[in-house]
Amino acid sequence: MNESDTRWERTRNGLLWVAIPLILGILISTLIPKPIIGVIRLEDAIYSFTAQNMIKQIQYAIDHPEVRAVVLVFDSPGGTVVDTEAVYMELTRLRAMKPVVTAVNGMAASGAYYLSANTDYIYAKPSSMVGNIGVIGYLPPSPFVIEDIITTGPYKLWGAPRDSDMRQVEMIKQGFFQAVELGRGEKLTAGPETIYSGQIWSGIDATRLGIADELGTETDAYNKAAELAKVANYQAEDLASLAGVNTSGLLFFIQGPDGVSLPYPNKAGVYMLYIPPLPVK
Amino acid sequence: MKRSSIFTALLILILPILARGLWFYRGLPQRGEIATPDFESFAAPEAPLNKTAAKANTASEATGGIVLLDTIHLNQFNPNEIDALTSAIQERGGRMESYIDSTQLEYQLKYASAFITVSPSVPFSTNEQQTLKKFADRGGRILAFTDATRNFIYYDSTSGNPLAYGDSESANSLLSAFDITVNNDYLYNTEKNEGNFRNVLFDEFSKSELTFGLKEVALYGTHSVESLSGMILLRGMESTLSSGTDAHDFSQGGAALSADGNVAAFGDFTFLTSPYNSYTDNATLIANLADFILAGSRNTSLQSFPFVFKEKSVQVFLTSEVTKTTELVTALSGLQTSLRAMGIEIEFTDIRPRSGDAIVIGSFAPMDEIEPYAKKFDVTLGDGDFITTAEYGDVGRYGTGILLFDASDKGNTLVLLADTPEDINSLISVISNGSLSACLTGESVAVCSVGVGGDYSSESTDGEATDEATPEATPTPSG
Repeated sequence: MNESDTRWERTRNGLLWVAIPLILGILISTLIPKPIIGVIRLEDAIYSFTAQNMIKQIQYAIDHPEVRAVVLVFDSPGGTVVDTEAVYMELTRLRAMKPVVTAVNGMAASGAYYLSANTDYIYAKPSSMVGNIGVIGYLPPSPFVIEDIITTGPYKLWGAPRDSDMRQVEMIKQGFFQAVELGRGEKLTAGPETIYSGQIWSGIDATRLGIADELGTETDAYNKAAELAKVANYQAEDLASLAGVNTSGLLFFIQGPDGVSLPYPNKAGVYMLYIPPLPVK
Repeated sequence: MKRSSIFTALLILILPILARGLWFYRGLPQRGEIATPDFESFAAPEAPLNKTAAKANTASEATGGIVLLDTIHLNQFNPNEIDALTSAIQERGGRMESYIDSTQLEYQLKYASAFITVSPSVPFSTNEQQTLKKFADRGGRILAFTDATRNFIYYDSTSGNPLAYGDSESANSLLSAFDITVNNDYLYNTEKNEGNFRNVLFDEFSKSELTFGLKEVALYGTHSVESLSGMILLRGMESTLSSGTDAHDFSQGGAALSADGNVAAFGDFTFLTSPYNSYTDNATLIANLADFILAGSRNTSLQSFPFVFKEKSVQVFLTSEVTKTTELVTALSGLQTSLRAMGIEIEFTDIRPRSGDAIVIGSFAPMDEIEPYAKKFDVTLGDGDFITTAEYGDVGRYGTGILLFDASDKGNTLVLLADTPEDINSLISVISNGSLSACLTGESVAVCSVGVGGDYSSESTDGEATDEATPEATPTPSG
């Protein structure tokens, strides 16, 4: 075996035992996905359309292992009770698998706060509006009969007596309060008479009261989510585009004659919703 | 050699995988079960129905009386909302009558036992305030209901802020004379309540006929009410707070009673409406309210004329001086018609009545039949040109009629005195017309111009008298 043969054999061995495994290793390593911090944005009220969108995004996060954590970004006054509860329940499934962090931009009020309470950490801006814990409902009118509407019972048209509607609202409230107790628990620094007064606080006060954890940005929320998920060098991805949901909303609020949206829901019902006292002029 | 090569190759293979894995992943997050609210355990608070109290409401003693219901202050309620109270009043023989014309208030309060206003939005006028004050001072009962849930919402033109104009200010225009204030707030209790924080439970009561038999009542969106000289009827728990201060104030409650016990104010009337009238002891409270409203010991005086009799019949007694001339019979028939319109029959008697309601008709001539009345009211009769009265001094005997009113437990007696048969007839006509506007009128003595033979004009008397409408048929006022 001459010298050139020996050199060739070395080269061949090198290729066989080093380069090929290295290339193979590199190729295989690409199968390890880059961790994604999924971002779910809610910049509207919570109602059937937005709730279904959120649920699709949550489902995507559950089904895709590369999504290691989720950040909910809120600018929402809350919404209907049932849609809020629907999202809340799906969120619970997600949280059992992956950390979820809230970043409050403008507002996480009422139902939006209900969802926030079911996350691992809450960031708010100093002037974000946070809280407004409670339920608001429109009582039905006292029943009366209408000539052209025939029903099979006194409350078929009206749903329920006013008194029992009032009591139902109280029952729904219990769920909200318990959700806050479970979500925030020992972090709360004020008593129930303050926390459940229905007040809406600035981000600064919210952190003092333990309603929120810290003042911070959306980026802080991504980092916190990554920390809780024990990932680094992640990529923040909008789950709406990944899950392919259409985010252009329907009409939930009353539209003024000039087309301006008023902060009042367009139908009577029971809501976890912040309705500001100032009318939009 | 081969084994080490394989080991090296494996190491080289794993290295980029490990590097990439560690670049992205720093451990395995521990996720536990996430606790959620126990939704199935939640229940709506039950309505505190009290069937016993509802039954108690029906066991009432008939006392009668007319209750004026205010409808002219843009009152924010429907009459059917106070059906429970109306029924309780009717079960006790009382009757509701609407107050629809402020010019008639003084007249209506002459025969009414009580006045009720519910959630007024327009303040009471000075005249109304004074008239109602006099009414309560005479023993009439006033019941004012306000309600924190009844507001006119309007928007400030500058800021756009919604503003609520409630009923407290208007109610206070009436209640301030009785040292009762309804605050422009609402009471709430987030710890212990009746189904909602604004439905406040009261279990501490001041001793009063209004709170008799109460253990717990609920008001549904109530203003706080206070009275320095009177008493707070319903006191809230310490956890009951005012929306005005978010604090508890021991001087405030859900209802207050004036110092003289004739005026009560409530911060809520939703408790009168169905189904809330049957919750807690609210039915008992409503029964107590009906008793209260009909139990006023209103002092009858000439100020209450023509509603000065208590009975359904009045005995008419003519003294021996008075002759039943044709003119007198005509005058008496007019009196009979007038009293019948008020539901009162007259019965003639030859013996001076000792009990029951009576009208005694006589002349200025000193007579045994008249003297007891004249003496009682310091009126000196005689043959001179003047009759001396304690209240008005000497009054000319010619063309003058004098009314004396004696109210007692045995019955109310109206004595008509004049000089001549013509004057007597004229005086009876004044009475029949149902107005003393042509008379100087005190509590028990009135001096009237009857316009015959004196210095007074008969035309003015008649004119004044006919301005007043003939009283409508009205049950005999109580008390």
